[in-house]
Amino acid sequence: MIVNLAFYFFSFILLASAVMVVTSRNPVHAVLFLILAFVNAAVLFLLAGAEFLAFILAIVYVGAVAVLFLFVVMMLDVDFAALKEGFQRYAPVGALVALVLFGELFLVVSGWSTLAGAPAARLYPTPDNLTNTAALGNLIYTSYLPLFQLSGMVLLVAMIGAIVLTHRDRKRSLHQKLSAQHARTPEQTLRLVRPELGAGVSVPASEKEAT
Amino acid sequence: MTSLLPILPALLLGLGAMALLIVGVLAKPEPAGFTTWGAIVLLVAAALVSCAAPDTLLFHGLLKTSLFTRFADALVYTAAVAALLLALDYNRKEGIARFEYPILVLLGVLGMVVMISAADLMTLYIGFELQSLALYIAAALARDSVRSTEAGLKYFVLGALASGLLVYGISLVYGFTGTTSFAALAGLLGANIGYGAVIGLVFVIVGLAFKISAAPFHMWTPDVYEGAPTSVTALFGTAPKAAAMALFLSVMTGPFGHLLAQWQMIIEILAIISMALGALAAIGQTNIKRLMAYSSIGHMGYALMGLAAGTEAGIQATLIYVAIYVVMSFGAFACIIAMRRRGQAVEKISDLAGLAAQRPGFAFAMALFMWAMAGIPPLSGFFGKLYVFSAALNAGLVTLVIIGIITSVISAFYYLRVIKVMYFDAGAPDFDAVPASVNFVMAVGAAVTALFILLPAPLITAASAAAKALMG
Amino acid sequence: MPVSLSHFLVVAGLLLVIGVFGIFMNRKNIIVIMMSIELVLLAANLNFVAFSGALHDMVGQVFTMFVLTVAAAESAIGLAILVIYFRNRGSIEVEDVTMMRG
Repeated sequence: MIVNLAFYFFSFILLASAVMVVTSRNPVHAVLFLILAFVNAAVLFLLAGAEFLAFILAIVYVGAVAVLFLFVVMMLDVDFAALKEGFQRYAPVGALVALVLFGELFLVVSGWSTLAGAPAARLYPTPDNLTNTAALGNLIYTSYLPLFQLSGMVLLVAMIGAIVLTHRDRKRSLHQKLSAQHARTPEQTLRLVRPELGAGVSVPASEKEAT
Repeated sequence: MTSLLPILPALLLGLGAMALLIVGVLAKPEPAGFTTWGAIVLLVAAALVSCAAPDTLLFHGLLKTSLFTRFADALVYTAAVAALLLALDYNRKEGIARFEYPILVLLGVLGMVVMISAADLMTLYIGFELQSLALYIAAALARDSVRSTEAGLKYFVLGALASGLLVYGISLVYGFTGTTSFAALAGLLGANIGYGAVIGLVFVIVGLAFKISAAPFHMWTPDVYEGAPTSVTALFGTAPKAAAMALFLSVMTGPFGHLLAQWQMIIEILAIISMALGALAAIGQTNIKRLMAYSSIGHMGYALMGLAAGTEAGIQATLIYVAIYVVMSFGAFACIIAMRRRGQAVEKISDLAGLAAQRPGFAFAMALFMWAMAGIPPLSGFFGKLYVFSAALNAGLVTLVIIGIITSVISAFYYLRVIKVMYFDAGAPDFDAVPASVNFVMAVGAAVTALFILLPAPLITAASAAAKALMG
Repeated sequence: MPVSLSHFLVVAGLLLVIGVFGIFMNRKNIIVIMMSIELVLLAANLNFVAFSGALHDMVGQVFTMFVLTVAAAESAIGLAILVIYFRNRGSIEVEDVTMMRG
């Protein structure tokens, strides 16, 4: 009973904040609602018995991905009011399409029937004598090891991508080269001249670069 | 060592990419040429090793190697090598010769190889995403160009939506059957068909149709083809298409093979819309890259025809079609990459006017590819169409074949228009000298396309064996 | 699992529909589109976790973990592309673009 109430409560907040994500005028609000949605989804994960994933969702999603979104929203100085223009115009048709889509999905999922042979077909039934984290770890590092490695590759691609696309070498920034500094001798850098009055000094091209 | 052999190509690609990455980061100046050649060597090595790999089921049924996967892998490797050769000179001239590009291509090919040999929905998903992510970055490679970044953005948004729908579909299939293994799914879905599996299947088809850019999920194709750097477009038009089509074949005939009655109609509709759109929308195009985009949509429609037949002969026909298409396509892109005037890339069809008088060899190669794409005998493209049409006819899909023939005739119009512009319109293209690497790809493509009629047997028998291995 | 499976599926279905709705409604605002894609993936994850609980099977949870990993990578790349697009155009609109016709 309590569990059911908790389910309704958290899924209501999840859906309400999801609606706010797609409709709110200010994208900063949208990101904050996204975070709220993820936290509530994490609670639903807990109710379904996936404890480890619930924490991962809270830590990775709220901690990293949503904050990344927030960072980008704030970094890009975008005129968000202008971006909302088309919304009112499309909203009725869009809502109708969404309603139809949901109606169809509802028909399928509300009376969900799992195949009779499904329990026998399970690849890795949940072990009763292990915690959720241990059970997940047992699988990821054994049977699913190649996929675990490949998802590492996916993250590598993301890393390369972020660097390739956004990193720029700062040509103008001044790096200190210690070895060059120490290797300098007075003969290389210092030249004593005694110019004639009013004649000025001519500086060779090689010395101009340093300035 | 024998146990390692089946995954050695994947290991070579993954570890090789990381080794090249280290070299690229440490070496100064950016060793773009070195990493490109390194990637080409790795791809060739992986292709050679994969030919020697035995047929097995690996890692508790996550991956499967067979004649079918080797056939598709070979196509992907060939296409990726061609795309890298084309990128060698083009990227330098466009100022986008980043050493990371070949590494991204390697990782993308790794994803394609994994998804081709997937024997589990989870493997399929990871491979699919690995190659998609690498390609999103490649599309936006020219990061200072509005067109390229816009192409990357459009490709990303629609691609991410498609993969979201794909994974939602997979979740329904998993929930209905309790398993993600292809073999177990084929067994379970043979006896019982439920709404859950069918709806899941529809979502999966949407995701895959997006990847091969079959209409009506093609919206991204023209913009991405036009906006991305041409060397990247050459990759998009070949390797991922071959890989996604192979995945389409293995998913539809493997786990969902018994749902043929459910998906046959969907595939037919996809094929019809793709062929029609490819033929009609291409007519008004003035940009050759956009033309190639619509042309690729049409070609995917013809290739899907073999799948719609649902027979072993149909699978064989699709494989032959895709193999021929890949060769024609990288050949045509070699010609497009060679279109440079005074250091500037040009991509209007009208820029080709008068090419035949100035550069007969170049014009002849381009004309060959256009003839072949139109499906005019005796070039290779004709045989591809012949095989898919006869497979569809034998499966009783007469309407599909009639529509296919009509759209072929319509599309011949715009292919022949390119030839007409090159041979009969007055103009002086004054194209720059074509670099050797591009000439090589163009020559290989032209030779295979033109001389296929003399030696069709190896491809036909390989495709037949691959189809047999797939249908088991 | 104490809560019935179909409840979870209906919530996930609604989440999917909201996500898809968000993508088509905010055609100009790429950031909101990316958040909508996150919602679609969340719907799939909720499905997996619910099925995993109902079937008493671990595969769904393993799948969810990979989907989460991929989704994190995907949003990093998406935001990187968005940032360079913004640098080039000074806007994140896609609909008003006349450079290329859709």
